[in-house]
Amino acid sequence: MQVSKNRLRENIVAYIFLSPILLFFTVFFAFAVGFSVWVSFKQWNMLISPFSAPNVGLWNYSSLFSDPLFISALRNTIVYAFTTTIAVLILSLLIAVALNNIKGAAVWRFIYFAPTITPAVAVGMIWGYLYNPSRGIVNEILGWFGIPSHNWLTDPRYALMAIMITAVWAGMGASILIFTAGLKAIPQSYYDAAKIDGASRVKMFWSITLPLLKPTILFLLVTGMIGAWQVFDLVYMMGTNAPASSVEVLSLYMYNTAFVDFQMGKASAAAMILFVIVLITTLLILKAFRKGGLESYE
Amino acid sequence: MRRVFWILLLVSIFLSFSAVAKTVLVIQTHWSDYQVNGIFNKSGKLIYPGLKQYAEEYMKLHPNIEIKIREVPFSNYLQQLIISHMAGKEADIYDLYSLWGVQLVSSHILAAPPKEIINAVKRNFVPASVKGATINGKVWGIPSEIDDYALIYNKKLLSEAGYTEPPKTWDELVKMARKLTKYNSKGAISQYGFAFLSGWNSAVVHPYLSLLYSLGGSMFNKSYTKCLLNNQKGVKALNEELVLFKEKATNSAGNVFNFPQNTVAMMIMAPWYVRSLKQAYGNQYTKYVGIAPIPPIKKPATLSYTWFFAVDSASKHKKAAWDFLKWFALQVQPKTNTTRAGDLEVNVISVIPPNKIDLRNHQKQLADLKVFIDQLKNAIPEPNVMQGAQIKTILMNQIVAAWNGQKSAQRALDDAVAKINSILARYYH
Repeated sequence: MQVSKNRLRENIVAYIFLSPILLFFTVFFAFAVGFSVWVSFKQWNMLISPFSAPNVGLWNYSSLFSDPLFISALRNTIVYAFTTTIAVLILSLLIAVALNNIKGAAVWRFIYFAPTITPAVAVGMIWGYLYNPSRGIVNEILGWFGIPSHNWLTDPRYALMAIMITAVWAGMGASILIFTAGLKAIPQSYYDAAKIDGASRVKMFWSITLPLLKPTILFLLVTGMIGAWQVFDLVYMMGTNAPASSVEVLSLYMYNTAFVDFQMGKASAAAMILFVIVLITTLLILKAFRKGGLESYE
Repeated sequence: MRRVFWILLLVSIFLSFSAVAKTVLVIQTHWSDYQVNGIFNKSGKLIYPGLKQYAEEYMKLHPNIEIKIREVPFSNYLQQLIISHMAGKEADIYDLYSLWGVQLVSSHILAAPPKEIINAVKRNFVPASVKGATINGKVWGIPSEIDDYALIYNKKLLSEAGYTEPPKTWDELVKMARKLTKYNSKGAISQYGFAFLSGWNSAVVHPYLSLLYSLGGSMFNKSYTKCLLNNQKGVKALNEELVLFKEKATNSAGNVFNFPQNTVAMMIMAPWYVRSLKQAYGNQYTKYVGIAPIPPIKKPATLSYTWFFAVDSASKHKKAAWDFLKWFALQVQPKTNTTRAGDLEVNVISVIPPNKIDLRNHQKQLADLKVFIDQLKNAIPEPNVMQGAQIKTILMNQIVAAWNGQKSAQRALDDAVAKINSILARYYH
């Protein structure tokens, strides 16, 4: 009796301590998500009260799948998310391994980390100049090899690719830093033992480095994928002059639907779909890693 | 006794506060900094007053009124208006793009103007601007600006190519644009014979509609139940643009804002850009910049759009707001025989003033915009339709897809019409 009373008291104290964060979570997350789910079944344009907006059932969801622009945005987002996440992962791992234990680490760290701390707007503007068809350095360099100029940010064949290259460049810094920390955590004795056994560098990479970096890779894969699904700023900055179907991504589609077209119901339905996609992708990644013997990245 | 004293004291404090409390009017505008704060010379002397100076003048005349100006960029203007209205933080007076009017009126966000203002607008303003401020047959504000489109060309680039005159027909424009387009050694266009701008719905759609109107076409049927753009005239108008792309006289990477770098020979633009060109070229302006009517495909035509001053229906000071607007945009100053709004529009904002008296009495200052003003007679106002901005973006996306060769003109316009008709079906029966 005394034990259960004590436990009850402990629970109450715990909930009192947790109450600020619970309140914060309820107001800024649970309410917002709940409201968004509710609105996704309404035809609400923000000009009237959401309570008087008509209920349309699943119409917003069905109208999304009959909207070619949404389908394009979904396709572009899938391409963007997988391509940039995997490219960032591979390139930053290679660079981190190459720069591990190299002299002048601070200088290298500054060089690779600078794009990460540069605001996306500035990145978009700088790369916009680089991609300029007549004066940009990208076409200039390609010209040295006899490759004709392209309109990188307006041609539907290249616009998304050009934005993805920028995203990879801007996104590598943080990943390299995390990989570097992961590499430092691998005990040197493993490599020494492998060397004595005559293992080559490549063999050491595959058999020691990569398996022991699995938690880091999982962390970067999950966070990178979540971030990539929600990409907005770079596409907003760099994709305005390209045909919408070639560069529109889900976040931009949601923004335009909500704040340009004022179709809050449809935008909320798109947000729900994005939420489900991110959830499924994350669960699949976690499951794949679990099969490899990893429970979490901690 | 003590209680009575305290009550009397509180009442007197309340009354004294009420006596000095001012009526606060908030004006929301998309105008840029110098248009609000006025233009000063290098020694800091005010040359042309901005909205702020007019507000100060009004406050001096009406000490019980306080005017606050809320500057909101054009790109966020409508969002800001709707969100602040919903949150109960609405401005009292707005300067509104006519295309947004239908939505705002149908959602009861705008207050109906007093009869005397409606009559004054109908009587004193140019017809295209009155049509712009008219929604469902009723005037909803005082026009503040009327814009139409004309051909702006680089005289020097044209003369270097052997042309002394701008093109007179669209076919001539295509021929000239082809000759005026130059490519660098890597195959990129270094000089555009004709430039479009692909990232902005007005910049894409308005020139296209001007060509459509030149063919005698129309965007919608009279009851707004059907979009007509995929008919023969609509497709022809887009094909006329596509000729420029096929002839390699332009591409979708063009940018009309590169005109001052002398890399654009011709473009279709609105009068508000003329001030920027004058600033960029300085005293070389007349040597470089020429303005002519849009070369017609069939008959002379251009699209016009309007901005108008309106009052929020939730404003607690509607009468004070309309009184200010009457003083600012309708009252004629005896000294100049112009309105204050007209002076601001001409001297600072560099747009065509929609009030006839301002047009008449600002002729000298409006000399650079003469072609635009003359073309008002051929102007067809942008249709005031529900979800107008959304419809314009849908059309832009399809036109840009056609420019980039992703779709034929017919297919692009079929796709646009299908989407636009589904929107119209929700609002018009």
